[in-house]
Order: sequence, then C-alpha cells, then structure tokens
Amino acid sequence: MSAETPTATATATYRLELHDIVKSYGGVRAIRHADFAIKPGTVHALVGENGAGKSTLIKIIAGAEIPDAGTIAFDGAVTTIGSTSDSIALGVQTVYQEPQLFPELSVAENVFVGRELKKGGRVDWKAEADQIHGLLDTVGLPDRIATMPVGTLSIAEQQQVSIAKALAGDASVLILDEPSAILTDSEIEVLFTVIRRLTATGVSVIYISHRLDELFVIADEVTVMRDGETITTRPIGELSVREIAELMVGGVLAESRPKGAGTSGETVLELTNLTRAGKFENISFAVRAGEIVGLYGLVGSGAGDIAGVVYGMDKATSGTMRLSGEDVVVKRPSQAKKIGIRLLPANRSAQGSFSFQSISLNIVVGELGKLSRIPGWVSGRAQQSIARDFIKRLAVKTPSEKQPISAMSGGNAQKVVLARQLVETPKLLVLAEPTQGVDVGAKEEIHRIISNLADDGSAVLVVTSDLGEVLRISDRILVVRAGEIAAEFTPQATQVEILAAAAGDQTSETLS
Amino acid sequence: MTLVNETTHIQVPKQPKKPGGRSVASRGLEALLTNRVVLLAVLIVIVLVVMTILDTTGQLSGPYNADYLASSLISAVPLAMLGMAQLLVILSGKGGIDLSVGSIVSLTGILFGLAYGPGGWDFIPALLLAVVAGGVFGAVNGVLVAYIGFPPLIATLATYYAYRSLALVISNQKPVSSTSIQDFYSAAQSVEIPLIGATIPLVPLGIFTFLIPTVIVVWIVLNKTTFGRRLYAIGTNDVAAQWSGINVRPNRMAVYAISGVIAGLVSVVTVAQFASARPDAGTSGNGMALPAITIAVLGGVAITGGIGRVSGIVLATLLIVWLNAGILLALPGNDGSQFQLLALGLVLVFASLLNGLTKRKYGGI
Amino acid sequence: MTIDERTRPAPASPPRGSGSATAKRILPLPVTGQEFVLIGVIVVLWVLLGIFTPAFLTANSIQPLLVSVAPIALIGVGMTFIIITAGIDVSVGGAIMLCAVVVAKTMVSVDIPLIGAVALAVALGLVLGLVNGVLIAYGRVAAIIITFGTANLFQFFALRVFGSSTVNGIPSTLEVFGRGEAGRTLGVPNSFAIMIVIAAVAWWYLRHAAGGRHLFAIGGNTNAARLVGIKVQPRVMLAYGLTGALVGLGACFILASGTATLDQSVGAGKELQVIAAVVIGGTSILGGRGSVIGTVLGAILVQTVTSGVTQLGWPSQLANLFVGIFIIIAVGTDLLRERARRKA
Repeated sequence: MSAETPTATATATYRLELHDIVKSYGGVRAIRHADFAIKPGTVHALVGENGAGKSTLIKIIAGAEIPDAGTIAFDGAVTTIGSTSDSIALGVQTVYQEPQLFPELSVAENVFVGRELKKGGRVDWKAEADQIHGLLDTVGLPDRIATMPVGTLSIAEQQQVSIAKALAGDASVLILDEPSAILTDSEIEVLFTVIRRLTATGVSVIYISHRLDELFVIADEVTVMRDGETITTRPIGELSVREIAELMVGGVLAESRPKGAGTSGETVLELTNLTRAGKFENISFAVRAGEIVGLYGLVGSGAGDIAGVVYGMDKATSGTMRLSGEDVVVKRPSQAKKIGIRLLPANRSAQGSFSFQSISLNIVVGELGKLSRIPGWVSGRAQQSIARDFIKRLAVKTPSEKQPISAMSGGNAQKVVLARQLVETPKLLVLAEPTQGVDVGAKEEIHRIISNLADDGSAVLVVTSDLGEVLRISDRILVVRAGEIAAEFTPQATQVEILAAAAGDQTSETLS
Repeated sequence: MTLVNETTHIQVPKQPKKPGGRSVASRGLEALLTNRVVLLAVLIVIVLVVMTILDTTGQLSGPYNADYLASSLISAVPLAMLGMAQLLVILSGKGGIDLSVGSIVSLTGILFGLAYGPGGWDFIPALLLAVVAGGVFGAVNGVLVAYIGFPPLIATLATYYAYRSLALVISNQKPVSSTSIQDFYSAAQSVEIPLIGATIPLVPLGIFTFLIPTVIVVWIVLNKTTFGRRLYAIGTNDVAAQWSGINVRPNRMAVYAISGVIAGLVSVVTVAQFASARPDAGTSGNGMALPAITIAVLGGVAITGGIGRVSGIVLATLLIVWLNAGILLALPGNDGSQFQLLALGLVLVFASLLNGLTKRKYGGI
Repeated sequence: MTIDERTRPAPASPPRGSGSATAKRILPLPVTGQEFVLIGVIVVLWVLLGIFTPAFLTANSIQPLLVSVAPIALIGVGMTFIIITAGIDVSVGGAIMLCAVVVAKTMVSVDIPLIGAVALAVALGLVLGLVNGVLIAYGRVAAIIITFGTANLFQFFALRVFGSSTVNGIPSTLEVFGRGEAGRTLGVPNSFAIMIVIAAVAWWYLRHAAGGRHLFAIGGNTNAARLVGIKVQPRVMLAYGLTGALVGLGACFILASGTATLDQSVGAGKELQVIAAVVIGGTSILGGRGSVIGTVLGAILVQTVTSGVTQLGWPSQLANLFVGIFIIIAVGTDLLRERARRKA
C-alpha cells in the first residue's frame, strides 16, 4: 500500500481515518472507493445492504484484509495495517457476531486469556479479579458472573464478555459487528448503556447494524455504503430512517416478477397464530399454489425460525399449521418431506452441502428412494441421469457430475443444493436466503428457477434478508420484525417502504 | 445495478492443479498419493516382487509362492472383516470408532461355543445366536453414541471393558470346547475350489464362507443401497444430512449394530480356527480392534468420516497379510512376529502422515 | 489508555476494595461436584468392602492397592494434560513396555544406582512422548491414529530389547517404589506419595500457571486460542512430552511392584486403564475441561473395584465390567446434565 495522497496528515481530530480505499478480490471490486473517519469518543454507524462492502471495510480496519490502494491514518499519523496484530497494536478491537470464546473457562479467564497478568510464574488472580470487577461493571455484567463458565451464559452475555475482552486489550477503537441482531430489546438497552459508558471515556465505536431505528438512539454519525462505495457521512440528526433507507438502496427500481399464473390456486400452507417462544409469536399467513410469498426480515427478526418450524427442525410452542387443508404437526424434516415440503437451508456450507461428495450425490441425497423401484436400493445409473438432468436444467457449470461440490463456485454449489429440493417436485418449497454468497448471474438464474417452479404450481415461501430479492421474485411480501409480521406489501411497494417497515420506522421512539 | 447476462458469467471451478502440460510422472505421482487404491496396489506388487527375489536368491526359510500366499489368507479373514466393521463405523463420522469389536468377538464366541458345544445346538441356530448377540452388543454402542451422545471412543472403551469381562466371567476363564467344536475345526481348513480348483492353490474355506460374502454384502450396502448413500452423507456433514430429511440417529446407531454383527461372524471363524471358544480370542495381546483400525486407516478411511471404500480395506488387508507372511519367512521365529509390529507401526504412521499431506497438497484423499 | 481511566467514571461502580473482595475467586471451586461424587463413591465402597470383607480396611490390603494406583494415576496426570487439549495417547502401553524393559535390562547388566535408573526411564519416556508430540502438533494428523502407530513401534523396540525371553534376576534397585517394607515411609507407599506430590504440582500448574490455562483454551477452541496469541503447537508437544516422562517414572513403579522377572506382557492394556481413570475422573474427551484430582480419584476407584472384587471372592475379571459401567455412568451423567443445561 502506498501513500498516494498527502491528505491523510490532516488534523488529529479523527481517531481513525481511511481515504480512497480500494479493494478487489480476483476481478471483483468489493470496495470501489471508500472514505471513512471516526472521531474519538463517538459512535459511528456503518450501514448498507448485504454486499455493499461493509464487511470488507471492517476487515481492512481489523487488518484481516489489506487494501489495494488508499491511506489509513491513526490519530493523524499515516500508518499501515498489514496484519491483525498491527491493528490490535493500534488499539483496534473487533467484537464479531460469533463470540470467539472458550466455553469451559470462566468469564474472567476468557477476558484475560493470552495476556494474563502474572506474578512470579503464576497467573495473578487477585490482580485479574481487581480489574475484572471494573471491566464487568463497564459492560454491564454483575460481579458474580466472573467465575461462571462462559458456556453457561446467554448469547447476549457472551457478547458482553467479548466486549470486556476487547476492553482488557486496551481498545481505543471498538468495532461492533451487528451486535443487536442476536439481542432482545432489553438486552439492546444494556448494550447501549455500555456503549455510552465507553464513549464517555474516549473510545470510538464503529457500529454496524441493519436495524436503522436503533441508530437514532445510539449513533452520532452514520456512513452509508452502497455497491462498494461510501455514499455519504452525515450526523444522524440530519437523517430519518426513510432517508437512510433511500440512500442504502439508491434510485434503483427493482423489477418484479410477472404476475404468476396460478396465484389464485388452492391454499397450500396456512399458519394460524404459530408461535415459538422466544423466537416468534402469533404468525398467521397463507401461501397458495403457484404463489411466491416473500418473508422479509433482518437477521434476528425470527423469519428464519419460522422456516425452521414449518420444516420440522424446531417445534412450535403453540398455534397450528395446515397443509392443503389438513392440520399437521411436523416433528422432523423427514416427516415434512413426506407431506411434500422441501427446504433450501440458509447456510450452504454448514447445512446444505456435503463438501467432498460428488455433485450427483449432493443432488439425490434427499430423495434416495427415487433411485430404484426396489425399496432400499439405489441405481448408480438413475443417480447419474437425475444429476445430469438437473445439471442441464439448472445450467450448473461443471465438467462432470462426479466432481466434488467443494470444487464449485458459490453460485453453482447453490444450484446443486437447490436441485436437491426439486428432484421430487415440492408441494411447498421453502427457500432460506436462496442467493446468499452467490454471484449476480447465478442469482438471476436461481430467481428464474424459483419463478418457473411457482408457475408450475408449487407454493413457494422465500425467507430472505435481501431486499432486492424479495421485491423481484415475490407475489406478496410479508415483513417480519421482532418475531411478528409487521407489514404486508404488494410487489409494487418500494424498497424504502419495506426496509423502513423491517427496520422499525414507526417504533423508533419506543426504544429510546 | 446492471444485470449480467448469464452467458458472460461462466464460473470456472477452482482447479487445484494446472490442467495439461504436466509430465506423466507427476500425474502418476498424484494418482499414487491421492488414490489410495493405486498406492496399495503398487505396494502389494512391491512386496510380492521383493519377497519373490528374496525367495529365488534363497534368503527365505520357505517358499514364498502362490500356495503359501493362499494359505496365509487365513489370517486375512478376521482382519478384513473387522476392518470392514471399522470402515462402516468410522465412515459415519463424529469421531466414529469401535474399540469393542475384539471384546464382542470374545463374548459372542463364548456364547456360540456354549450353544454349539455343550448346548448341543445345530450349527445354523448357533451361528444366528452369535450374529444376533453381536448385533445387540453393537446396538448398545449405537444407542450410547447416537442417542445419548457419547463420544464413540468412550462408549466403545466402556463396552470393551464390559464385554471382555463378561466373556471371561461366563466362561470361567476357560476355553469352551467339545467334539463338535473340534470337528468344526475342519471348516477352517483349506479347500479346493470346484471346477477350477486343480489349477489354483488351495484357499482357506473361511475366505469363501465368511470373508467374501461379508465383503460383497458390505460393498453392496455401501454402493447399492440407500443406507450406504445416507451413511456417506451423514459422515460428511450430519447437520446437512438432517436438513436433507435424513434421520441421523437410527442410521448412526445401525452402523454400530452392524459392526457388532460382523464381530459375531468373526467370533465363529475364530472358534473354528482355534477349535475352541477362547474367552480372550479378540482381546489377548493387542486385541483385534487395533489391527482392524489400522487396516481401515491404511485402506484410506478418513478418521473424520465420509471417506472410505471396501476396496481399500481389501487391498490394505492383502498388503499387511502378505507382508507379514513374507516377514515370517525372512525372519523366522520371534524376530518375524516382532518385525510385523514394526511394519504395521511404520505403515500406519506413514499412511496417516500421507493422508495429511495429500489433503494439504491436492485437497482430498 | 488504561483500564482505570475507563472504569472510574462509571457511576455504578462501588468502592474498589469491596469489589476485589467479592470477585477475588475467578476460578471455579478447586474440587468439582463430580469429584465430590467420586470421593463419596469411593468412601461408600470402602465402607461396604470393610463391612463384607473385614480384611479390606487393613494396611495389608490398602497398601498394595495404593501401590497399584500409583503408576496408573501418575500416567493419568499426563494423559489429563493431553485430553484437556482434545488429544489422546493410546501408545502409553507400548511406551511403558519399552521403558520397563530398557531399565530392567540395564539394571541386570550394569550396576546402575536408583537415580540413574529413574533418569534413564524418564529420559527415554520423554523422548517417546516427544515423538508423539512432534507428529501430532506439526504433522497435523489425528492423535488417536498416530499413537496407534507409535504403540506398535514402541512394542517392536521393546520386544527387540526383550529378545525372545523374559528378563530375569532384576536387582532390587527400585525397591523404594515397591510393595515391600522398603517401599513405604510411615506406612504410606513411596510410589503413591510421589504420585501425589507430582499430581499436586500438576494440579497447581493447570490451575494457576498461564501455560496450564492455555491448555484448556486450546482444547476448548483451538482457533480462538491462536487468535489470542497462544502458541498452540509447543503447548501440545509439551503435553505429550510430559506424559512420556511420567510413563518413564510409572514404568519404574511397575517394575518395582513386580517380581525379579519381567515378562513381555508388561504395559499391555495400560493405555486403556489410564484413559478409563481420566474419563471417570470427569475430564472431557472433547477437550477444554478436566482435572488431575478427578484422574487420581478415578484411578483409586478403578483399583478399589479391582481389589474389592477379588477380596469378595468374585471372579476377578468381573472388575472390568464395573470399570465399563463406571465409565458409562460418569460420562453419561455428564452428558445428560449438559443436555439439561442447554435446554434450560
């Protein structure tokens, strides 16, 4: 990285400044141009849709990625962040969504592990105890928790421990990556108290969130990213939820799916007051044959949990589910499949793909019974022909169906996992984040496949946090927020309206 | 936002190596390192060639010829069968392993011996008893692992102790024998194969009655049944298997039960071989579990699950058996059995280091 | 910026003195619930055995019991280190055999003093342990597989040293670790006392030294351990090396408690006995959790059952059935408790 611009040696009113940052992966520009600066003792929100470049920018600050061009200045002095340890040495600490903790060790140990305070060859527990008190107090955890194994704490508490751990490392810049996604409203209150306490002592907090309403409670400034560029940086008071949403989505008009032929088909799925305690409540909606219903919700909204219950991965605590007019209680996925439900899981690598197995096994694995007329038997030839058929139909790019799925690009691998749900034409297809981590071309194709499936008479429920996607392919859009259906839209709705509903435009005052 | 036309967006899968422009030698090396079956076949040929050279130059204490190789196959029967049991169990993933197979061999052997000998049962019911009992003992492992969540190593360590103890207690620490069992000894003798038998060496009967049927059945189970396909899926990623609608627990339990069934069959072979049911048949010395696990690892079964083939087990067994047979001729007496340990240890260490290396270099086994 | 600057302005913080008083205990209790249960089980067994076989609670019965506990518990201390890092070592049986026969042969052929014999055994054991450690830490292969392999190699070398027969006429150099009068101080077997001292040091190290705590971190979450700057590979190697050294000393204990003749069955099955003791003691095979106290208690429990079964006149082999059952109960209750905790 070379210092091309002398502007970085500006005044030291900023704790951290990034100028003219550019970053490409292969041929893809993740960041086309980014400027970002945060003052000491402030909370600076970073917002943008999935793929806008937020996480790349954060990785650059944390030293996990090195920019292709641009300058970074710390307290006014131009510096180089070439590794995570460089970043830590500058006082940058990151709290990721997935806590990097040791479940069996106590809270206090987790905070100090790797940089223990020592006295004569042993860990100085007394010194650590003296400090842990203050640290826990700062992050809003009770003193008694210090001795408990981290594994026994709630996710929210673990996050607070991660913050305490970051503080023990003398953080001057604290990056919080979507901290509120996994928290309840009251837990968010605690988090905000902690953040305010930190900024009062001069810590700069970079706050990433999809929940725009909460920015008005906690942030001082907001930077909006779109398509790899920082669009604007403004004091939060100058904007509204709606205006931020507009900046995030730009002026793009999403095309919507041509009105499906069978939207007046019979009701396939009908949920009535479906509740899973702690996740979602009183969810009622229906999906008809030939219809694509988009369930739009931000991470942690509960939309994904609804899909899990419909498919039998989790149990509902109350409410009813009907399939083609019959009451059903789905206890496990195998039962869901028997009654004609298929589900594309959200996390491809963890829940979808059998990494080093062949593409053909990955396609047929859900419908092995179809591979021969003799029960329990499989025909390799049938497996091959089904696999080849789908490779052709879904335009999967691969030299052979025998290739392992791990050798494929994200988009192709996703098509393979999707093919698995189509081997037996589903009565109801649930798709969770169908195009996450997929390139634009494959995204188009997957959308077309979904659309064709609905035209052929399947009921389709798409659970997604991708705004463009939900508008493009849905016949009807339901917005899930905090475990409830907050609003319903037609595909003629604007991105801004939907985002505002999902991010809690109406209720921004209840949080503060 | 521009929409990219699909034809402009062909994604080439990542190639771990440059296609073309490589010498035959480097491609051959890759096949050798990444394809365990090729490696084992090459090693078997090397063993046969070296031993034959030693034989012709008169450095062996006996002839290393087809008859000798055929008769040495008697020790391949328990080894390959239990290797297949380990293949199934390790394949199922989540640290799958079965330390208890040797103890199950001892225990079901005693049960079989008591039924067939003093009990006066007919052979078939006694055989069924051994198989069913083995299945039940294996199913206990399966319940502990699949339904209660025991790490397989611990569950089968516990039952290793328990079954081994029961075998000794039930038999009062004495081998069970009778005239019928001694007659049964003939079952382990070498036989001439009908029709073509005169032209090829005598092969131990156990090969035909137990080993080959087991190899065929396990191969069919893994390659031709839905259960086999599910097993590979579960072993590769049991979370994804669950999302695909596979009931993971009963399938995982089943492999432990099958492992027990195979151990039950082996116990009958062992009774025939020794002309008595010994209470420590599967547990004396290093026991039968360790060599079986060695065979599985050598045969290319990935300890992390999801990878492994019957052909690897068969070839690994042939390699070890024929290598051991050669060592016995080259180094008579105690020396031979000692150097067998060295060979087994070295082969195992290098096989696992090789697994690690190929994984890093070529991205697969 | 220091922590004090940040915490002082926090309005809710009480005066510092009281804070450190309430939070002075960062670690969990020195003895865990499972260990109390184990102590309880051992006490109950001893009382029951004392009632049914009055000879059990006599020095003549307890002293040999403690002598037989010593090597298993001692090697178990090392195995606890290994299993805490989520590893395993099934080669200790072979390593015991090799150390024992090398020391026995040396003592037979040269007049080596006690200290020399012990140093030889420990040094040899350390080397064997480091062989495992290097292969596992740097070869990136599954510990169970590699140690199955080295178990065969150690046995091979041991058998080569044995030659074709037993080692006879072993001098009484090691009698201070033995079953006889010379092996006791104030009635307590020396080998058991040494084991307790080493276990105590190990307990202290695991509990209070940064290096010890890092072993737990490695076993709990290896990636996170790397992220916080723990040097994973040397630490893992250390655990295997330590186990090897303890195997060397344990082999001396085993030699001393035997006769003047050493046969080729020495060490056989010991690896599983050691693992059984560690697991019954509450150390998680998945890594990240475990304790030396539990291991010592586990070894005592196993030997109590072994000795008790014989003294009750039951078939001695029945003891292993109880060992199996203890493993299932110990690990099973832990699993069920964990499951209940996750549901709650």
